[in-house]
Amino acid sequence: MPVRGSYRSTAFLATIASAGLCVLGFSTIGFGAAVVGESRKVEITQKATGGLDALKAQYRRPTTIPFPKDDPYTPEKAALGKKLYFDTRLSVSSAQSCASCHSPGFGWGDGLAVGVGHGMAKLGRHSPTIVNAAWSAIFMWDGRLPTLEEQALGPIQSPGEMNMKLDDLLARLSSISEYKPLFDAAFPGEGMKAKTLAQAIATYERTVVSERAPFDAWIDGNEKAIPEDAKRGFAVFNGKAQCAACHEGWNFTNEGFQDIGLPSKDVGRGEYLPGVIKMQHAFKTPGLREIGRRSPYMHDGSLATLEQVIDHYDHAGVDRPSRSDLMRPLELTAQEKADLVAFLKTLTSELSPTAVPVLPR
Amino acid sequence: MRTIALFTGVIICGLSVGAYAATEVIHQQGRVFSSESISVKKGEAVTFLNDDTVPHNIMSASKGNEFNLGSQAPGTSTDVSFKEAGDVQVICAIHPRMKMMVKVTN
Ligand SMILES: [Cu+2]
Repeated sequence: MPVRGSYRSTAFLATIASAGLCVLGFSTIGFGAAVVGESRKVEITQKATGGLDALKAQYRRPTTIPFPKDDPYTPEKAALGKKLYFDTRLSVSSAQSCASCHSPGFGWGDGLAVGVGHGMAKLGRHSPTIVNAAWSAIFMWDGRLPTLEEQALGPIQSPGEMNMKLDDLLARLSSISEYKPLFDAAFPGEGMKAKTLAQAIATYERTVVSERAPFDAWIDGNEKAIPEDAKRGFAVFNGKAQCAACHEGWNFTNEGFQDIGLPSKDVGRGEYLPGVIKMQHAFKTPGLREIGRRSPYMHDGSLATLEQVIDHYDHAGVDRPSRSDLMRPLELTAQEKADLVAFLKTLTSELSPTAVPVLPR
Repeated sequence: MRTIALFTGVIICGLSVGAYAATEVIHQQGRVFSSESISVKKGEAVTFLNDDTVPHNIMSASKGNEFNLGSQAPGTSTDVSFKEAGDVQVICAIHPRMKMMVKVTN
């Protein structure tokens, strides 16, 4: 259950602030006003890694959900947000809800290669999961939205997705008499408006957290919780394959952007940072929780299985200037690949069923 | 904790080199900058040292002080000096949690 307030809401807000700066205003800048000197090699004394126990400690689950100071958790808000999340009347066609593309049945994604929007038209990218969005630093595959509140309103208004103008949506929700008291209870003195609609949905989304998986039991000390091949896979993940360079920490992402060499024309983050070569074809590193329920994989849904994903990283994909320096042929053995898959499978929980809410009429 | 330790390290280092140490060193271990905010004089150099295990991209889009180090490999350092007084937001485009403020004074 979510915990009120947050031990890290300040950090979260700071992140939001800088992500905001990041999204705004990069498209028109020129570089070179500051004076940049030559790069030089530096001798670095790498500190000792501290062995397996120290490594495992980096993967311990947090005990509370972070909520931002300006949108703290309340049960009323989360309950209202859940109704809105599952309400198809948020789309102009009254046929799609947030849950259409981010469904609990598919690990909070949609099980499709790319999402399906308004009029059943295919979208350009794979619908990302919303699991553990509370810990995200930046939103969308290309990072164009700095907060979950803004993310909540994005797909609703996008012509290709739910295609609903906010004014029309508020008028429609106002005509559903049972919604007003729910908004009044969740937002005393504020009631129904775009801001509270977004806050309610975002609050509900923050309560969608991956559940304890076998991996967590192993991290907590139960050696029998995962098989030996998965333990070897964990070592490959953190060692030879360098997966943890991006998929780091308990949610298996540092929220970073990398071009991983997929042969797609989509420039991703590059649209917002045209002057930064490494951001061309770069997409946000997704977390790996509940990964077993989230196929097909990658921003374009182009890889059907975890085996194919690992083969892609092993081959390192398309070599181009924007490709991440971390992408290079790994020369993994068949055993190492199988161990990696075994490890990834331990990150999927027995997700408990999500009850679909009774909607206001 | 690590951030604090590193920050302290930078201060101690600066003191020990004495009055001639005009250069601030910003470390990048663990996908964070070693300081959230520093203050430098106009024209003074800041050394961005990638002592992490992964490449970083250090850049700023702040008006008058734009720069971009491209992909900075682990084990390299680059000096940056700023032409204009003001607040410069420095970020790593690869890692959105990496951000710091450089206050450039006259
Ligand atoms: Cu970085």
